Amino acid sequence: MESLRSILKNFKWLFGRNSEFWPTNMKTGMWAWVGHRLTGLALVVYVFMHLSFITTASMAADGADFDVLMEMTSQPLFVAMDFILVVVVIYHAMNGFRVVLFDLGLGIKRQKLVFWITMAIAAVLTAGGLWAIWHLLFRGGA
Amino acid sequence: MAEQRIATTKVAGTWPWFFQRLSAVLLIVFLAIHIYVSHFADVGSETGEEPLITFNEVSVRLDALIYIVVDYGMLTCVLFHGLNGFRTVLFDFDWFANRKKLIDVALWVVGAVTLVWGIIILLPFINGA
Repeated sequence: MESLRSILKNFKWLFGRNSEFWPTNMKTGMWAWVGHRLTGLALVVYVFMHLSFITTASMAADGADFDVLMEMTSQPLFVAMDFILVVVVIYHAMNGFRVVLFDLGLGIKRQKLVFWITMAIAAVLTAGGLWAIWHLLFRGGA
Repeated sequence: MAEQRIATTKVAGTWPWFFQRLSAVLLIVFLAIHIYVSHFADVGSETGEEPLITFNEVSVRLDALIYIVVDYGMLTCVLFHGLNGFRTVLFDFDWFANRKKLIDVALWVVGAVTLVWGIIILLPFINGA
């Protein structure tokens, strides 16, 4: 019990009430930053999953494995995960765009407004992504 | 953590910062092409109805050198951007920031091996059909 407490003490900076990551201590810019890191880490994991899938798909010389994999990944479960991927990529790209603007010295003093403008654009792009996925999913009766 | 972040921004370096931005812009372009060709342009080009992309469609596309450049360019950018982003996260922690050399070597090795891996798995598509 004592050792558990000493382990937890090491994570006070992350989970403590006085931590800058405690939800009520976080402001807009901090949420944006945390979101950027979490989506970034998720996308790194995704890239390795993507390469693993293509590895499986490239095994048969005649490409049969690839076509079987495409059949599998067009199932609703995978398409739903694709939509999550679209949301994650669009958030990371739009918040990244905001970071680049700041690097160019633009909009720093209005960073909250810039955040909500980029998120509005992200929402529109996400709606477009949802429409495209819907369209692809039901094209040809798949 | 706040003080740490400011300190480790210096640890991360200026060139990695620059190439992180450059690869980000390139990735937007590559991603747009990648999504268009793999979910819209090639799809159904053989039968006109088939809603899924096929090995042959990918293979035919990769007869054009420009698409080989696009695919391998995207692979290079995504590995640099992802691993350099991960490096930035690691350097926010003192334990990793104090082992900069080790982390840098490890990430370059992971990046190089993954790049070779990615190049190899596309070859059947380039050579096929």
